[in-house]
Amino acid sequence: MVEAALQTPAIGRGVTRRSALRRTFGRKSSIAFLMTLPLILLVALLVLYPALYSIHLATLNKSMERFVGFGNFLFLFKRETFWMVVQQSCIFAITAVIFKALIGFIVAHFVHNIPSKGQRKWRGMLLVPWVIPPAMSCLAWLWLFDPSYSAFNWILDKLSIAAVPWTGNADWARFSVILVNVWIGAPFFMIMYLAALKSVPEQLYEAAAIDGANWWQRMWYVTLPMMRNIMAITALFSLIVTFANFDIVRILTAGGPVDRTHVFATWAFRVGIEGGDLPLGASVSLFMLPILAVAAIFILRDIHRRASEMS
Amino acid sequence: MSTAAITAAAGSARGRRYGSISRDRRWALRWSYFFLVLFAIFFLMPPVYMLITSLKTSQEISAATDPWWVHHPTLGNYIELLTSPTYLTFFRNSALVSVIVVAITMLISVPAAFALSRMRFWGSAALATGVFLTYLIPETLLFIPLFKMFALINEYLDIQLIDRWWVLLVLYPTLTVPFCTWIMIGYFASIPKELDEAALMDGANYRQILTRVFIPVALPGLIAATIFAFTVSWAQFLYPLAFTTSADQLVLPVGIVTSLIKGDVFNWGQIMTGALLGAAPPLIIYAFLMDYYIAGLTAGATKG
Amino acid sequence: MVRRKLTRRRFLATTAASTAVMAMPHVRGAYAAGKLSMGFWDHWVPGANSATTALVNEWAEKEKVEVQIDYIPSQGNKLLITITAEGQARSGHDILSFPSWQPADHARSLEPVDDIMAQLIKENGAVTPIVEYLAKPDGYWLAVPSTVGSQIKGPCSRIDLMKQHAGIDVQALYPAGAPPKADSWTLDTLLKAAEACHKAGFAFGIGLGTTADSVDSAGAIFQSFGAALVDAKGNVTVKSDPVRQALDYYARLARFFPPDAPAWDDSSNNKWLVSGRGALIMNPPSAWAVAKRDAPQVAEQCWTHGMPAGPKGRYAPFLPYFWGIWNFSKNKSAAKSLLVHLSQRSSAEKMVAASGGYDLPSFASFTDFKTWAEEAPPKGTLYHYPNPYKHQILSMAASPAPPKIAVQIYTQGLMTKMTVRHMQGEPMEKTLAWAESEVEGFMRT
Repeated sequence: MVEAALQTPAIGRGVTRRSALRRTFGRKSSIAFLMTLPLILLVALLVLYPALYSIHLATLNKSMERFVGFGNFLFLFKRETFWMVVQQSCIFAITAVIFKALIGFIVAHFVHNIPSKGQRKWRGMLLVPWVIPPAMSCLAWLWLFDPSYSAFNWILDKLSIAAVPWTGNADWARFSVILVNVWIGAPFFMIMYLAALKSVPEQLYEAAAIDGANWWQRMWYVTLPMMRNIMAITALFSLIVTFANFDIVRILTAGGPVDRTHVFATWAFRVGIEGGDLPLGASVSLFMLPILAVAAIFILRDIHRRASEMS
Repeated sequence: MSTAAITAAAGSARGRRYGSISRDRRWALRWSYFFLVLFAIFFLMPPVYMLITSLKTSQEISAATDPWWVHHPTLGNYIELLTSPTYLTFFRNSALVSVIVVAITMLISVPAAFALSRMRFWGSAALATGVFLTYLIPETLLFIPLFKMFALINEYLDIQLIDRWWVLLVLYPTLTVPFCTWIMIGYFASIPKELDEAALMDGANYRQILTRVFIPVALPGLIAATIFAFTVSWAQFLYPLAFTTSADQLVLPVGIVTSLIKGDVFNWGQIMTGALLGAAPPLIIYAFLMDYYIAGLTAGATKG
Repeated sequence: MVRRKLTRRRFLATTAASTAVMAMPHVRGAYAAGKLSMGFWDHWVPGANSATTALVNEWAEKEKVEVQIDYIPSQGNKLLITITAEGQARSGHDILSFPSWQPADHARSLEPVDDIMAQLIKENGAVTPIVEYLAKPDGYWLAVPSTVGSQIKGPCSRIDLMKQHAGIDVQALYPAGAPPKADSWTLDTLLKAAEACHKAGFAFGIGLGTTADSVDSAGAIFQSFGAALVDAKGNVTVKSDPVRQALDYYARLARFFPPDAPAWDDSSNNKWLVSGRGALIMNPPSAWAVAKRDAPQVAEQCWTHGMPAGPKGRYAPFLPYFWGIWNFSKNKSAAKSLLVHLSQRSSAEKMVAASGGYDLPSFASFTDFKTWAEEAPPKGTLYHYPNPYKHQILSMAASPAPPKIAVQIYTQGLMTKMTVRHMQGEPMEKTLAWAESEVEGFMRT
């Protein structure tokens, strides 16, 4: 109906003053297209083109003079470090997201429980880790984990517990990276889940209570199904962002010790820019794509499902 | 409270024993506050530690007598940084880049979101999904080809793109525009079409609809998108690390991590001060506009 | 980094909607001989940069050149990243500091400096052999050896702790003002001392990470056994007996290092010493310099001395810096003139003094400056730092491998990674097999 209302003036104008230019700008789809043009250009030039260019780069040799096809990938597949990076990236991402979701869920429930007046204050305090730029908070964590001056080890020492090599031992280093990741990301989950919790209608809980459901059953049969969409989207978003994370590992461990905390992004930086082998770095980064694509497909399916549910 | 009342009624109807309503609720509240305090300690401990360390002299830090309390507080680190031309350059660069990027982002996203949510044209549905998908191509994939692209432009067209802060003005929108567009599409889509029609009846053209009707109504969403764009720009680390190296071109995150950490022994008092001051703008904006911020985050998921 | 500008510079920036073009008008005034931009290594010793700044400004006044100095830290590989980025983009500073293997790695992009080197050698005498090797991979000088930053990473010990727990009097081994009496200072002695100090709670703070300090220490130990991963002709010699001996020794020694040594960077050993927890670190005097400021009671017990001897000789970890001119620079003549000025005897003396004795000039005749004899407390603590009696050989980690391969072995920290793997339980042959595959990867072109 809106379109009909719009078409008439355009045709009217076209009839009275014939001018090609007028007609072009009078048409709705041209305006619409022009309005989206900057977006299209931005994405095409600075996202799509470089992505395709990186595929081209990955087929070149180290000095970028010869074409070597899959040579870089074959080289990577034979390297132990590469498979370690794949494994580490996946484990980090999955573990971190699970814990973020868990902590976010638990904290959201507690915040939801307290009277609404106080909720704003607590929400504000608990979101702080997410608001601070990760590079800054990683510096704080770096100092908290320092081999000689760790404040945590100082506390442990007072409790007569041996000092922990937070970033020096491979397993502890992985733990530390996941810990900082969870610290930064859990508030985001909390906020999303809190909003979702609030949108669950009270009647459902009342109905469940009438049926004699206890706390756990209420959770399982009412809360979780209603929140399923939000949980899925948040988890998948976070999976992708955590998988491609650079800042935390770079500042905290720089990939060490002995490459045990390298993820795709940091290893690509190490190999590509620090090692002067851009094609190899591009190959490493590109390997993220298949994994990310799988996640993207799941997100798309979920969104379409939600969109069709709503309409 | 009604839930609890019904529970109690149901309980007595079935002959089960429940404690008194207020006692149950009070215990639930107590446990909630207890755990909230624990989590608050966990989440707020690093920033507080940053503050404590920033007030220490380097002698006190080296002596390591008590990392969790300041015995001889000093504002020396703050004074040193706030009068240091290098640090102020970092701050200025960050501020310039973030503000300009926010403007660019808004200029690109708002019209695009308007077009995608209101005007049906060929490919609009595909474009809307496509916008969302680009968010999934991470910067960690793009920084290497972009680096080479800019180096080539430098060599053949003699346009200096590497090691200049304004290259970030070109790059940051790729990170902010997709998500902001998505948020705005959500907000615009939730504006009832009747408002459109009413404005059209009054003879408004598209531009007027956009400026007079939409933007005022969607203002919360706009503010949320602005805050998001600012925070993302301010916090960026990888792009500036890869593309800027000279001291006067650095933005805060990279400047602090790579330049303040100088000398064999870190001057951690100064570094923590730098980090705290660097985290201040997003925190301050957050403190004042918290509700918009949170609304923006959740809108992306619930309205989208 | 700290930048020093001499003239007012306004620079305009356009917004990013269009591709930005740089416009930098500036007031030339008296500076008619052009501009020169340089990126120097940011010194570890507090306040040492000022000597370089003063020398550059002095030259700039005389020559009427407008200069711009950036001090780039090596922490976080910043300097390496800058070198790589500028080499790739073929634009950036005119002069940069290049550590160790970097000049050879960027040979194609550096301006030959045979002319000024000939002049400097005639004036100042010969250059240390290892430095010449690194700067002349193809027979001509690629860069000028820099006084600033060139360092020996020999042991810096705590006199009191070594005496008390290891029974070693480092002042007697390396007396101030006299030749060393260090025949008993061998790798075996080092191992015993490391064990004793570790038991006493004051472990030796030697890193096993992938940054320069850790790699240089490992490199010297390997060379003490005559172990090379790749020989001078480019053959892979990972699975050779000297390498096995070196790996076995170093892994045994590494068990007495702090537990998080594999994650140490270049600042960790300094912090270890300044905090009072370490009996020995392998570092140039920067740690002692900071201890003077922040922990004087530690500083007055520090003694810098020579390395222990191994089966094939006494090798000291050496890290030379070079000043290199990019061949895409637009003001090469000014750059060369500046480098000659910085390599004068008087300039070198000022730099060494400002760095508290840290900087080591590479010209033979420069090793007799007063600074090293006079630095205190304690008096004579740096006397043996510049290797005045030449009783140890300056070693470059990863040599004698060809430069392009050596730079990879060095920057990837292959030797320390091997040590960590073997120390944590991996069988030697498996570690060697892994190292061999890594080296084969480095051979890629």
